[in-house]
Amino acid sequence: MQFAFFRRKCMQNGVVAVMALLIAVALPLAHAQNALAIPAFSRQYRTECSTCHTLYPELNEYGQVFLKNGYVYANKHAGEKGGEAPVPSGKPGQGQTQTASDEQVAGLMLSGIPKWIPLSLTLNQSANYSDPAPNGDHWGFTTRDLVLEGGGVISDVVGFYATYDLYRHDSSISQGGPSSLHELFLIWRRFFGTPVNIKVGKFEPKLSLWKKSDKIIVTSFATSSFQEGNSPFSLETAQDAVEANAVVANRIFMATGVVDRHGLPGVDAYGHLSVKFGGVDFLGNEPEVDFEKESIWDYLAMTLAVYGYNGRNIDPFGSGISNSFYRIGGEFDILYKRARVKFSCVSGEDSNPYYIFPETAGNPLVFASEAEYYFGSPVKVVGLFRYEYQNDGTALVRRFIPALAYIPLENIKVAFSYIHEVQPLDINRQLLLDVSLSF
Amino acid sequence: MPVILFLCLISTAAHAGLTIVGKGDNMRFDPSAFPPAMKASYEIMKVRCIKCHTLERTVVAITTGIAPISGQPFDRKATRAYGIKMLRKPDSNMNKQEVKTVVELMNFLLDQAAR
Repeated sequence: MQFAFFRRKCMQNGVVAVMALLIAVALPLAHAQNALAIPAFSRQYRTECSTCHTLYPELNEYGQVFLKNGYVYANKHAGEKGGEAPVPSGKPGQGQTQTASDEQVAGLMLSGIPKWIPLSLTLNQSANYSDPAPNGDHWGFTTRDLVLEGGGVISDVVGFYATYDLYRHDSSISQGGPSSLHELFLIWRRFFGTPVNIKVGKFEPKLSLWKKSDKIIVTSFATSSFQEGNSPFSLETAQDAVEANAVVANRIFMATGVVDRHGLPGVDAYGHLSVKFGGVDFLGNEPEVDFEKESIWDYLAMTLAVYGYNGRNIDPFGSGISNSFYRIGGEFDILYKRARVKFSCVSGEDSNPYYIFPETAGNPLVFASEAEYYFGSPVKVVGLFRYEYQNDGTALVRRFIPALAYIPLENIKVAFSYIHEVQPLDINRQLLLDVSLSF
Repeated sequence: MPVILFLCLISTAAHAGLTIVGKGDNMRFDPSAFPPAMKASYEIMKVRCIKCHTLERTVVAITTGIAPISGQPFDRKATRAYGIKMLRKPDSNMNKQEVKTVVELMNFLLDQAAR
């Protein structure tokens, strides 16, 4: 009894201590005016986070271009020099650029070795309040992770990217989660002079418009994260795959690939097609704008996408029973000045997602939409509201998620979100505070 | 001799028609020799552009003719493209008139650097 009281007291004190610590960290940063973030790409290209992100890690139009072009800035072709800040040394147009330490690094450049070790770290710490909660344990602030990221491009020919969970602890699982490699892949850019990029390794197959990390709050879109029955498949799961992708006619992006099935014959196959209207094209070319006249197309950008995945997997609990499935999805992303709307819808079929006899098929239908507004400086805050509808054929779950995210510096983010989840027999409420730092 | 020595110590980088002062993040143009209209434009550039990046990036692009991040040529076509990019950037708070003014200034600076 005394122990329980002592433990409860410690927990209460712990909540106060953590909240005080978070406020103590956030407040001094609230008045910071300007800062350059320095994760791997930022370091390599000597540019600020806002070049590619709205509020990191959500990508803006230029970040999408950078991603689609194998981590090289727009319109660059393999072999062209760039990505190193030149120092003034001659007249414009003469290409007389030289980096500050050209002579010292000439050997490195010839070898394709980056001048900086292309690594960065991201730390995330969450605190949450859940209602209802098992055993009345409403508070949780043990969810945290430390991620090592590597990324860059060698001589504009080969891009690479890796994320490794140095430490991950989710309060919903056991103490001290396993370390794991999330992504590790190489991209051969402009394969033999064609517009095609070849990607090989462990990565998220290109299905959705947005990568798992491409969001403002920690919670993934239901369309990307949902799993049917006991099937481990979700759109955002990193898989061992080979993918070919290309930008065609500047505004069309295509990707197709195959995924290793691990223990089953054959391979999974997938494809993605997206088209962009208005805004920067997929190669980074700006739209035509008349400085004398206003037009809605000066600021409007719309991206539409469709994708499909056909696969088969095996019971993760070892019964040997397999499940054949497919997914078809459609999405759009609309940007107008500071406002952004995302919509995602996915449907499909699983032949036996619970791996049981007799076979019981599943027909999931999930959609999610999110409206964001970026308030901008001097207070760099994004307000958003997300609605999700998830029907796996046996139960309907709806989520209403309002959130606010704030970046006191470009590489530090504080996000508050509330998840109101309506289940058939219950309503779950969760309040989340996430703090992340990347450097 | 001491005067020459003194001048050497306080010397600034000169690129044909342009004078550049400061180093690194503090690098910027010296607008004292600009025509009045361009001086006014430079005041806009000084305030708006440094919201997201230092003026060093602009100085490097103008004086080398190469955009530092993309490594692409920085010419009149590029100044217009960058102007449009900054117009569309949500946090730049630049209107079309300001963008037009700054693009004209960058074109002027390119011409000066090429002299």
